[in-house]
This record gives sequence, C-alpha cells and structure tokens, in this order.
Amino acid sequence: MLKIENLKATIEEKQILKGINLEVKQGEVHAIMGPNGSGKSTLASVLAGREDYVINGGSITFQGNDLTELNPEERARAGIFLAFQYPIEIPGVSTTNFLKTAVNQVRKSKGLKPLDAVSFLKIMKEKMKLVDIDQALLSRSLNEGFSGGEKKRNEIFQMAMLEPTLAILDETDSGLDIDALKIVADGVNKLKTSENATIVVTHYQRLLDYIVPDFVHVLYNGRIVKTGDKSLALELEAKGYDWIKEEVGELA
Amino acid sequence: MEELTTVSIEDQIIDSFRATSDFQKTSLAQFKDLGIPLKKSEAYKFTPIKNILSKNFDWSANSAFVLNIDVKAHFYPIVKANHLVFLNGTFDLEKSIVTSDTSELVISAITEKDNLYNSLGIIADQKNDAFAAWNGAKTSIPLHIEVIKNTQNIPTFIYHFADSTSGESYSYPRIIVKSNSGSELSIYEKLIVSGDNNTFINSVIEAEVKDNASLKYTKTQNYPANVFAIEAIYGTQTSNSRFYTNTYSFSGSLIRNNISLAIDGENCEGHMNGIYLLDNKSHVDNNTAVDHRAPNSYSNELYKGVLKGHSKGVFNGKIYVRPIAQKTNAFQSNNNVLLSEFATINTKPQLEIWADDVKCSHGCTVGQLDEDAIFYLRARGISKEDAITLMLNAFTKDTLKEVNEEYVKNQVLDLIEKGLKNE
Repeated sequence: MLKIENLKATIEEKQILKGINLEVKQGEVHAIMGPNGSGKSTLASVLAGREDYVINGGSITFQGNDLTELNPEERARAGIFLAFQYPIEIPGVSTTNFLKTAVNQVRKSKGLKPLDAVSFLKIMKEKMKLVDIDQALLSRSLNEGFSGGEKKRNEIFQMAMLEPTLAILDETDSGLDIDALKIVADGVNKLKTSENATIVVTHYQRLLDYIVPDFVHVLYNGRIVKTGDKSLALELEAKGYDWIKEEVGELA
Repeated sequence: MEELTTVSIEDQIIDSFRATSDFQKTSLAQFKDLGIPLKKSEAYKFTPIKNILSKNFDWSANSAFVLNIDVKAHFYPIVKANHLVFLNGTFDLEKSIVTSDTSELVISAITEKDNLYNSLGIIADQKNDAFAAWNGAKTSIPLHIEVIKNTQNIPTFIYHFADSTSGESYSYPRIIVKSNSGSELSIYEKLIVSGDNNTFINSVIEAEVKDNASLKYTKTQNYPANVFAIEAIYGTQTSNSRFYTNTYSFSGSLIRNNISLAIDGENCEGHMNGIYLLDNKSHVDNNTAVDHRAPNSYSNELYKGVLKGHSKGVFNGKIYVRPIAQKTNAFQSNNNVLLSEFATINTKPQLEIWADDVKCSHGCTVGQLDEDAIFYLRARGISKEDAITLMLNAFTKDTLKEVNEEYVKNQVLDLIEKGLKNE
C-alpha cells in the first residue's frame, strides 16, 4: 500500500529526514517510535503533504502512485488521514459543517453523489458512538476550547467519518489521561479492517498496550535504525532510548 | 494647483445651491465655514476626499430623476413591511408602500411648511461635519419616521434610487427617525443605481432612540464602481435604549461611513457592526465614534475586513468616556485579513477616557489567514479555495447576529460568498 524509499526531507534548509525506508501493507499496524527530535512528526507531516517541508531525495509510493505529486487535499481524497498531534482551533467553523464539506468533497472525487443532510447526520450519529463524542461538541467551533482529550477524540471521529485507507496517528496519546486513551484506542481498533492500515507515531509505549502493532520501528536522527515486533516497544519502555543511541553510535 | 481646485469645488457647490428655507441657509453657512476637509485633516487622513470629489464630479450641475423605473421590482418580497422610496435623494411618498398603521408608525415627507421641518439638523453635528452641513443645504423632501410609544414594528426598507443615465447624479437624502419610548424598529437600506455616469450620495440619518426603545439600522453597500458615497448616521440614546448599526460594504469607488453615537442615558446598549469585503479599487472608510455621556452604559463595536485586489480599507474608531460616565463598558475590535499584496488597510482605535471606573478595550489585527488552519482543512480533503472560503465566512459571520430579516441576511451572506470566491 505504502512504500517509502530513501526519503529525505528538509525544513528551512535543515535536513530532518535522512533516508527513510518503510513498507506498509494492507491490514498492518506499524508503530514509529523514537526520542524527541528524531523526525517522527516530520515523517507524518511529509506523508500528509505539508508544504513547509521540502523533499530532497527518495520516493513515496501510495497504492502504486507517486504521492509527492499530490497536494494535501488530493492525498486525503486518495485515502490518507493524518490525526494531528496538535489539532488546530478554527473559530466560527463547526466540526459538523466542516466535515460535511470534507466528506462530500472526498465523495465527489470518487464520483459519488454528495450526502444530503439527513444521511450525513445518520452516519455522523453512528460514528459518534465510536469515540463517545457529544453532538453539542460537534456544533461548536472546531476544537476551540476543547480539552486535550476532546480534541483527540474529535480527530478519531473525523477519521471514522472519512474512512481512510491509511491512517497516520501523530502522537495521539499526548495529553491524554488513561481513560481518554482507552476510548481513542478503542475507536482506532474498531476502524481497523483487513483492507486498511495504520501508522502510529508515538514517544511512549503505553498507547501500544491498546493499539497493538505488527511492527515497531525506531526512528533516530532522521533514519529508521531498528525494526522489530511489539516486544521492541516494551524493551524501549524498560530501557529508554539511550541504548539505541549507543548502538547507532557504535555502528557509525 | 491644489489650492485652485480647493476653492473651485466649494464654489461650484455653493453656486448650485437653489434652496430657500432657513434650515438650508443655515446649513449652507455652516458648510461655507467648514469647507471640504483637506488631506491634512486627521479624520480624512487616509481618504483624500477633496481630491477624489474634485476629480470625479462637476459640482455646478444639478441632477433630476428622469428615469421611468419600476421601483417595486426592486423591493424585497416581504408584504408585511414598509417600502420607502427615494429618487435621487428626494423622498417619494407616492411611490412608497406604507403598510404600518399610524397608531404604530408615522411616515411623513417633510416639506418646508411642515412643523417637522424644525426637527432637521438637531442631532447631526453640522457645526463640525462639512458633509452633513452640505447635505442640509441641498436636501429636498426629507423622510420622517416616528415610531409610536411601546410598539413593535414590521421591518422598514428604504430604497435609494439614483439615476445617472443622462449625466452625473447627486443625492442628498435626509432621514429623521424618532423612536419613542419602548418602541422597536428595524430599518434596512440599500441603493439602486441606474446609469454609468458618476453618482454621488451624501446621506444623513438622524436617529433619536428614547427610553427603553430599540432601533436597528442596517445598510448593505454593494455599489457599482461609479458610486461615491458619504453616509452619516447620528444617533442619540436615552436610558435603557438599544441602538444597532450594521454596515456591510462590498463595493463602490468610495464609501465613507460616518457613524456617531451619543449615549446620554444609563443602561444603554450601543452596537456598531460591520464588514468590508473589498476587491478591485474599492475604497471604504469607516469612521465611527461613541460618546459615553452618562454612567452605566455599554457599547460594542465589531468590524471585520477582508481586502483583495487593489482595494483599500480604513477604520477609525473613537470612544469617548466623559468624567460622569462611570461604570462604562466600551469595547471595540477591528480585524482584517489582507489577501493581496496590493490591498491596504489603515486601522486606528482612538480612546479618550476621562472617567476612572470604566472597562474599555480595543484591539485591531491585520494579518493573513492562518496557514496551519488551511493545511488542517486540506488534510481532510477540502480544496484550498474552499478552505479559505470556509474560514473567511466564519471570520465575518459574527458581525451578522443583529440582522433579523432573513432576506437581508441571506443577501449579505451571498455577497460574502461571492466576494470570497471571486478570485
């Protein structure tokens, strides 16, 4: 589904990604872990098409197509979803209103008819249950004055509405207490099928207790330096990142 | 060179003066005294009004409304409403539709013989406002609206028709609104221009809002490029009254709005809301003032600007709080989004506070749209253009909350949508 080869990217002329290789297949859950500043969020942003980053090497292929040729909205319509680490507050735009526009633009790109208000609301009600989100919250300005947990639940709710092929969760656990974390993880798990895939970007192991990965990759200094199964996450939790740094240092 | 033009424009105006009433004579004398403000005048610093008016009009001429126009075709399709017609600044009662009963609302055309004639020029500050004095000297058949005590009224629409088919046209409408205690009224105003010649509007509204009364005055200014308008609203309020002005400007060569509110009672609310969403070479200057002359009242001002093309916006908001006006709450905010490197905005809050126990705040912002927010919306599949429209719609929307009439509100929303889409 997704194939990243030797991907290099800069922001403001600073080289952040220094050659990433990663392949994600249908039905898989990949966790990307790593210390602060290793390039995890950059990778997530580059996949979503953030224009502040300049790709200066390598390739990203999504379902056989060159992803770098697509702008952010085209990527979203192709089935890529980024759950933001820091969801943006947009005053005056309600979640409901904006999601209706989004869902219908995605549908339009697939040649589907726009949803009328009734069917949209019906789908919305179903998906709201997934993340236990309140309708009143969705009528309010997008993320404005939302608590950390409400913002993250809203991200997963949007994901449920857009039904992406590849979901990228950028530090979705940050700012969540354990109850909110369970709700969010539960939502993600319910959305998982054999057709789609998930990339979970996280600093800590605890989210992976709830969203169990098939692969764990350690990103350090712009490269994936280690790949393993879920036991690697536990090892990182127990030992921290220093041993990875040392190992890489020894290799270098 | 400038001095030559300076002299000639006032002389041209004075030469074209034909009226005979004492009020008009007094107004003319006031106008002669004041003269048209020069560029160095602080209040017209960013709007070189004299140059603009000199360049675009021959002031020695007078214009008549000769066009045979079906005015009713331009009325809002609302039956339970008053539809009042001005033709080149002259109120025409015959062409108007008055639905209200005189036990609720009294609509009159003011002629010289009328007692109502004495009500002209009392609230408007003609001693200091040259354009209001000019309007007074030139106005013919003003409109008088008296809202009877303790009545809630159907909406009143005012249509200004300007005929510039056969030459430049000049309109000097004057409207007096007397909202008696406990009454409620909403007025909506718009301009319909026929003809391509330059069209000048100099309008003055004098509103008196008495105890417990509410008056809402809404203007939609979507003028063709041949329109140059200077429009004043003067309001006075006494205790427990509410006065709202809503000013939505979309196009016109020059629009200068002078809104001045004197709060003379306690527990009053004065609201001034506005949008200017401009493109091309439109120039809109909103000059507002609230004068708190009594304690315990509240004023709030909210103006939103979106500027495209080579357009120019000017905002000047004055708040005066007199020594007696303790416990005043006065707020002002003016936010702008510049969408073109050629567009400009000059915004200036001006607070003069002589009382010590007050809450006053002002804020103005000028910026571009939040790139992070645009990315967020695009990352959900929304096109860049639609993301921008969605955000700007939200940005301007909160200035519309006091417009009750759905037709007018939808028209403004349409103009916003159209103005935003039109790249």
